Amino acid sequence: MSGGIARGRLAEERKAWRKNHPHGFVAKPETATDGSINLMAWHCTIPGKQGTDWEGGFFPITLHFSEDYPSKPPKCKFPQGFFHPNVYPSGTVCLSILNEDSGWRPAITVKQILIGIQDLLDQPNPADPAQTDGYHLFIQEPAEYKRRVRQQAKQYPPLV
Amino acid sequence: MEESTPEELEPLFDYRRIQPVDFVYLDDDDVLDSPPIFAPKRKRIPSPTVEKEVESCKIVVLADEKEKDEEDWLPPPPKMPVSRAGFEEDPTIKELRLKKQELASFAQSAGDVMRAVEESARKEISKLGRSALEPEGDQPSKVTGEREKIVITIQDKDEQKKFCVFKDDKFERLFKMYAEKTKNDIESLVFCFDGDKVNTSSSPKSLELEDEDIIEVHHKSRWLAILRRKLWKTNHLEGKGLKCKCNFINISAAYASDIKKSEQNRLKSCCPNCF
Repeated sequence: MSGGIARGRLAEERKAWRKNHPHGFVAKPETATDGSINLMAWHCTIPGKQGTDWEGGFFPITLHFSEDYPSKPPKCKFPQGFFHPNVYPSGTVCLSILNEDSGWRPAITVKQILIGIQDLLDQPNPADPAQTDGYHLFIQEPAEYKRRVRQQAKQYPPLV
Repeated sequence: MEESTPEELEPLFDYRRIQPVDFVYLDDDDVLDSPPIFAPKRKRIPSPTVEKEVESCKIVVLADEKEKDEEDWLPPPPKMPVSRAGFEEDPTIKELRLKKQELASFAQSAGDVMRAVEESARKEISKLGRSALEPEGDQPSKVTGEREKIVITIQDKDEQKKFCVFKDDKFERLFKMYAEKTKNDIESLVFCFDGDKVNTSSSPKSLELEDEDIIEVHHKSRWLAILRRKLWKTNHLEGKGLKCKCNFINISAAYASDIKKSEQNRLKSCCPNCF
């Protein structure tokens, strides 16, 4: 029953996304090799914001929805080892609106999630570190942090 | 909990919902003022005679649809006989209703004529080889057994433009027209759907696009385009140049030395094939 709710909501989210989404973002449910669509996992792209060190990068992120969605938030994962103070070594994003016990509300849309993560890229939250590398450089060596961010943006050029 | 969730969410993710532009409430008083205007109208609708007459003229039905929907939730059956008796005895109202029906059917036939004219004009245009693509300004007319049409939104960094095209028409035509309209070299534009490049020989039908789906347009970076052109022109590919993994980007040593070290890697990683 609740799985039906999750799928229904995700189908609506996808429908809305196709007709309206911010430029440069991609969000599509996983497609298996046989062409079947898995609504519970979405492959997305978040563009780095213009005018920031993240500009020029198109960062791949996967949204994993559970059967309890939208009561529970999706798990959002960058590639393993992604450089950012609030991203765990596994790639999982640590963000208040994605936390069931703090900022998550069932009304938050996929679009809002992706825009929220885009904001987080350039505005890390030093109060909530998730990896040592990114956190220490951000706090102690701003110049090196900047360099690493720019380098990472180049690692993820546009796909087309 | 489960029942209340969808209700509470529904309006938030329905991005398509368009707010009526005309209704600008400057303060609360206006909001309170508006309902009484609609109230008298509602009472007239349940009359079954009106509904029967109206069946033939869709325009009227459409106009009142909103109120009818709301009315469905109220108990109309007990009301009907009462209102029928009351209204049918009144000759003025009957006369007005007949007149309304006459006008409505007249409006509809006028609409039919307009549509027929539009359709034939469109046919002529496409015969002449001119593009039949049209900006959204004119309503996507109802499909009349001919080729199916679809509204496609092309979105760049700053704005969206809508185009009405045939579903089985190749994208080539639409993209050419977009490039002309935005005064861009078509070679400098990349069109994507869902992050994948759209092949110009495919069509909305082959990509299974739906009405108002967004195709995104990206501008290829200028310097890369210039370098590529240089590369093709010189056709000078040997020597210690700059290459990406698949050799698509392959710049001769002479030109590679012109490129800053920091840009060299970026150039390599710009290959659309292997990155």
